[in-house]
Amino acid sequence: MDAMQLMTFLSPTAPRRLRVIENILVGKRTVSTLYWGMRYQQLSWLGYEKKLTREVMDQAVTELTAKGWVNLVQTNAQLTDQGGAARQKLMQNRYQPRCLNLRLVVDIETFWQRFLLATQVVSEQSYQNYHYYPLQVSWQVKQSVKRWFSRFHEADLSSQFYSFWQHFFRQLPDSQAAFMSRLLVGHQRPGETRLQVARDFGLSEAEAGVMATDLVCQLARAVSQTQLASVNSLLTGLKRSLISTSAQQTLTSFMAGDSLTVISRKRALKLSTVREHLLEAAIMLPKEQFDFQRVLPLKLVTEVQRRFVDTPLDEWQFKQVGDLSIEFWQFRLIEILRSKQTDDQH
Amino acid sequence: MISTEQLYQVLEQRFGFTRFRPGQLEALKQLAAGHHTLAVLPTGAGKTLIYELYGAVTSQLVLIVSPLISLMADQVTTLNVQGEKRAAALTSLMTYAEKNWVLRHLGQYRFLFVSPEMLSQDQVLAAFQTAKVGLLVVDEAHCISTWGPDFRPEYLLLGQIRHQLNDPLTLMTTATATPQVRADVKQKLQLPQAVEIIQPVDRPNIFLDVESFQTRADKDDRLVELVAGLKKPGVIYFSSKKKANEMAALLNAKTASRVAAYHADLDPETRFKVQQQFMQNQLDVICATSAFGMGIDKDNVRFVIHYHLPSDVEAYWQEIGRAGRDGEQSVAILLYQPGDEQIARFLSEATVPQENEIHYYFQQDAPQVAGDVKANLIWFYKQHRYREEQVQASFAKRRQQRLSALQKMLSYVRTSGCKRQYIQRYFDQFPSGSKAPKHCCSIDEPGFNLSELGLLAAKSEPAGEQKELEATAWQSILLQLFNDAGQASGTT
Repeated sequence: MDAMQLMTFLSPTAPRRLRVIENILVGKRTVSTLYWGMRYQQLSWLGYEKKLTREVMDQAVTELTAKGWVNLVQTNAQLTDQGGAARQKLMQNRYQPRCLNLRLVVDIETFWQRFLLATQVVSEQSYQNYHYYPLQVSWQVKQSVKRWFSRFHEADLSSQFYSFWQHFFRQLPDSQAAFMSRLLVGHQRPGETRLQVARDFGLSEAEAGVMATDLVCQLARAVSQTQLASVNSLLTGLKRSLISTSAQQTLTSFMAGDSLTVISRKRALKLSTVREHLLEAAIMLPKEQFDFQRVLPLKLVTEVQRRFVDTPLDEWQFKQVGDLSIEFWQFRLIEILRSKQTDDQH
Repeated sequence: MISTEQLYQVLEQRFGFTRFRPGQLEALKQLAAGHHTLAVLPTGAGKTLIYELYGAVTSQLVLIVSPLISLMADQVTTLNVQGEKRAAALTSLMTYAEKNWVLRHLGQYRFLFVSPEMLSQDQVLAAFQTAKVGLLVVDEAHCISTWGPDFRPEYLLLGQIRHQLNDPLTLMTTATATPQVRADVKQKLQLPQAVEIIQPVDRPNIFLDVESFQTRADKDDRLVELVAGLKKPGVIYFSSKKKANEMAALLNAKTASRVAAYHADLDPETRFKVQQQFMQNQLDVICATSAFGMGIDKDNVRFVIHYHLPSDVEAYWQEIGRAGRDGEQSVAILLYQPGDEQIARFLSEATVPQENEIHYYFQQDAPQVAGDVKANLIWFYKQHRYREEQVQASFAKRRQQRLSALQKMLSYVRTSGCKRQYIQRYFDQFPSGSKAPKHCCSIDEPGFNLSELGLLAAKSEPAGEQKELEATAWQSILLQLFNDAGQASGTT
């Protein structure tokens, strides 16, 4: 994270809560973080920078404030006119992620470790070299690549990997293909570090990080689509659920028809926890996959929407519906529904 | 009984050498005779060969206690590359199931690496008790003395663990140890009778230089000048990761050299790449912290520069030992600015808990919070039934030792006598009849110049084109990665 990266998360038209931006990047799955992350269309960044510290965040904010690009009210930041113009300019030149959403459903870090190691193994095999230093990876990754190699080593891996990479690089802009190819490791090629490539391309470390992550997401997508079993099988077991395991269990019971009280008793969870699970599911999943009607009587939804017909969603206040028979979590669900019906990209 | 002929035979068959390096055969003979051995051999002398060869000759399980996960991984990889597949490292990075698998199949391994923390776990210890350990190796054995009390106290349990493993034959190896450290190591491992094999610590082909600066800017300028002028490759040590990053960026910008930082904060992929680029001569200079070094085996390092003052002479000697392993003239330069000792002192003291901290943590009943090093440390002593007064006394002594060690490092910087003799005296080794090398140190040869030492880079060396060597199109990179694939894919 640096100041420019932070700029991309801010808006000139509405204040953004800095703590939400930070919590999304760190990967905190609280309902409030997820809700606002959805509103800021920032969910694909969930857990992108788990080691982000407050200090680094504050530095970025201070830098933008000093430039006069950001107005800060407590911990809410909004771009000034000048900041808005700077952001627009920035967005024209900066790498725009295309496939970051995939991070939420595939373990991208492990995938890259596997794929990079597999590429090295195939490269060395193509030179019939069996004495070399393999990339240092976790025991799990090493074992899975070993199993993979013993299954496929008799296939023409060299040609298959060559064609796959060639196909993948061809559909990327040349500079992006160059960027990624230089990270690869193989026979007499220790590969370049991200920082080295970034320096050559004149990119900041943060921007190079975004680019590398997004390219790996695109790579994972290409791997999932290829017919080549040797390539495709490197994705095995790396699927992730969009929601936490516990929330998934709650959702399964809910979709099977259990009432919230029954779920609470069966799973020995507080009712409030059950509700949080459902809210998490409603935020994260496509709206077709969550049964809003089960917990939101149509009349209630219509009435709430009628009251706020002229109010932008982010300005809805719970107290304005205080006279209706509605609980806060239901109110939030209606907000989620509304968000998904109008401007959410899920 | 293993004969000397057998040792030579395996040396040649397995390692492709016809001669042992000084100290190796002596240590092997002692082990073959069943004597516990402490081998103090200089960095690069081939300490690992001793236990690798012993394992190969006796076909027994060799259990190696090693301080760093990255070092263990390197050693396992090196064994694998040599063709020995029965090697593994039991580390905290494994899952419970994986660790279990290895422990249940100990019979399938010849070389197993563990950290002292891992070995002191009941389940791990129990497994090794049933498998017969043919040789227990304590690698970097000085850690027992220098790290024990205030950092990784499990090192203190090794003596007891040895007994629990039925007192196997033991080899302790280190590159640097004063007589006190050697005595301490043997005492803590409860092996007072162990035979000592000691090779001179001196590295006559490393010229010793200390340079002083009044300001930080002067020091930085000099560093840039040195890196631009010196023959590569080289290593620069820093006490802070941040400074290592900053200076790597500065040197890349200001010199034609290819420079990268290396420290514990890098992800494994980057660490691998930096290490391999350096090994394959695609990097000229590494800006490192002490995380770099153990396990790095590059022969032709021409200079080691210290930007910060190391905390003791052992660490300094160990680090400059990366230079000149090929026996060619090399140089160790320590850049000193008055006040640098404050940084070293701070870092040195930061690891030792203070009186009030010890008292505070002793009052706590609950186990430690993850990541709180000092709380963990005190908890360790509490669990092992130490009393607060004992711990207070031992840490007070420890603080005193650390300070005195730093003082001795500082005296090396300030001495107006021969630097080499200072080091030899420090390690209690006196040059017996051997002449000082032609080029010794900046005290003996005040007007020395690097050109006379043959350490200046040729004018045409690292030029811009080398820096751009890597800027190749993706098509060529793929062709280079996959041998013949271009043609092959056309025909299939």
